[in-house]
Amino acid sequence: MSASKPEPVISLRDVSKRYVKYDDQPMLANALRFRARSRRSTLLAVDTMNLDIAAGESVGVLGRNGAGKSTLLQLLCGVTAPSSGVVSVRGKVAPLISVGVGFHPELTGRENVYVNGTILGMSSAEIDRRLDSIVEFAEVEEFIDTPVKFYSSGMFVRLGFSVAVAADPDVLLVDEVLAVGDFAFQLKCFARMQEIRAQGTTIVVVSHNINVVRGFCDRALVMSHGQKVFDGPTFDAISEFYNVVGREAKEDAFGAGELADHGAVIESLTLHNVGVVEPVLHFDSGEMAALRLRVRATSDIANPVMGMTITTESGTVVYSDTNLMTPFPALSNGEVAEYETRLALSLPGGGYLATASFHSAAGGNSVLLGRAVPVTFYVSARSLASGVADLGGTFHRVSS
Amino acid sequence: MLRELWAARALLVILARKDFYVRYRRTVLGVIWAVGVPLVQAVVLAIVFTHVVGIGRTYASSQQAYAVFLYSALVPWNYIANAGPSASTAIVDNVALAGKIYFPRALPVLVTAASAIYPFAIGIVLLLLMSLVVGSGVGVSFLLVIPGAALAVLFVVCVGLCLSALHVYFRDIRYIVMAALSVGFYVTPIIYPLGKLHAHHVLRDLIAIGPGSGPIEIFRAATVGSDSALALAVSACAAWCVAFGGIGFWLQCRRDRVFVDLL
Repeated sequence: MSASKPEPVISLRDVSKRYVKYDDQPMLANALRFRARSRRSTLLAVDTMNLDIAAGESVGVLGRNGAGKSTLLQLLCGVTAPSSGVVSVRGKVAPLISVGVGFHPELTGRENVYVNGTILGMSSAEIDRRLDSIVEFAEVEEFIDTPVKFYSSGMFVRLGFSVAVAADPDVLLVDEVLAVGDFAFQLKCFARMQEIRAQGTTIVVVSHNINVVRGFCDRALVMSHGQKVFDGPTFDAISEFYNVVGREAKEDAFGAGELADHGAVIESLTLHNVGVVEPVLHFDSGEMAALRLRVRATSDIANPVMGMTITTESGTVVYSDTNLMTPFPALSNGEVAEYETRLALSLPGGGYLATASFHSAAGGNSVLLGRAVPVTFYVSARSLASGVADLGGTFHRVSS
Repeated sequence: MLRELWAARALLVILARKDFYVRYRRTVLGVIWAVGVPLVQAVVLAIVFTHVVGIGRTYASSQQAYAVFLYSALVPWNYIANAGPSASTAIVDNVALAGKIYFPRALPVLVTAASAIYPFAIGIVLLLLMSLVVGSGVGVSFLLVIPGAALAVLFVVCVGLCLSALHVYFRDIRYIVMAALSVGFYVTPIIYPLGKLHAHHVLRDLIAIGPGSGPIEIFRAATVGSDSALALAVSACAAWCVAFGGIGFWLQCRRDRVFVDLL
């Protein structure tokens, strides 16, 4: 490490976390049958991980469910100890994990602020001082002496978030909490988080919401099966994340018959910037992309046709098209060919799936020859645009 | 471990207060429930054992005196019977909080022991009033309830530290504690005085070294007069505390950061 580099606030050295799963209960009946410990399996949730995070950095952690993100966060906030290796975190750590930890429905807002604030490591004098700003930020002034069970769910999460960000930690660990409240409050939270970041607080964000990671983090990790598979700039990390998602989805789908031979074999389906050989999985909204399908014919194909569909992650079809009316030139048995669809990705920010199929056209109808496993990719928002399509809105004042 | 617990003392106070508020909020009688039930229990037991079973008179000069005799044991016993089970399951019961944020895992044990102190204190005040009004009055010896109560709290903390750690591994603990308490009510000198067992020395000594006898014998000494087995009962209880507390403290230190993986 060079002398100019500041000492890391968070450092992990060869950290592994192994969980032991007992598949049967250690019950007396089993003990009597001498098999109490017979079915024991281990699960390596975090696998020899090394990580340094410097003061003031904000780092995102990306990964599919079960990749080890939550375990990593638990290790960082000291809830659980590593099975091997060393975790060191300097300074006061506040987890912003699930809002309103320790909130009790029968207690009033004010009482819950004191309980929750103390849990987060604030002294009661600190809470006294910050109570007004906490309540104001949460917009619950009139209800602060009402039991929180009478709160709307929005008020509940607003108050929880307000307490958490008031704790003024050196290291803030964020897990799936920013998607709280209505849109206006989300913007407010976003602004508050930027403020906290500007104060030099080190932030670690674990989120399925890639927009959040992209909004806060200059650097991101990608985890897969407990290992750190990528560590670098957020933009590249998001691309790598979708690479991992795609690869794992392919592993899941393999043998499901999707890759069966019906006269052609799908060799690959990839996304590219137009004219670039290297595939990418992360685009800016409005950018041109090429969806490239590589096929090997296992029979003679007179009129090859490509079909493609883009869906949102929840499955809504965004766009679907085919060149059924203008087929490609004929393919002979054993030939390998590559086709592409060029698309203007005028989409709001978020994750999408692209899939493609290969057909042979016969008089306006088509015969399916092969279907590719979907590729998951990410589009970075141009603005706060949301909806099905990015129509490229701009905002102007027209009256004088 | 001790340093971490000391650092979390503010959390201990606020969680104990929360526990207490939450328990009696929205009840019409509030904390009266905590002290009223043992009071009614004492009166009923006094009537039953005096008039139905007919042994109360052999232990005390009158039905009223027997009621004081009973209540002086029920106050510490009820503290142990209320706080003991919840202290023994405290780590597992706090899983929601424990999975999210670190605090010494022994803290909920102390919280349950502490939050039950308030009704315990009210019970002691009622015991004082009862001794003055229907009993034979009190002297300076009543101050003995303070070490008596301290011993009861210490005992619950020590048992809680040990059993709450074991309970993470063996969920049977909950039922073992319930069974021990229901048996304990009869094998602890609550409805009878230890001194009446002078004909059976072995039995008397066995009952005296039962873990609940120590605090009860001190409370008896504070109100109706001490028993021959007081010293034995108190030192036995202290020994239980050392045993449970020692094992408990060792378990808590060793397994503090591992519990959460097993919840």
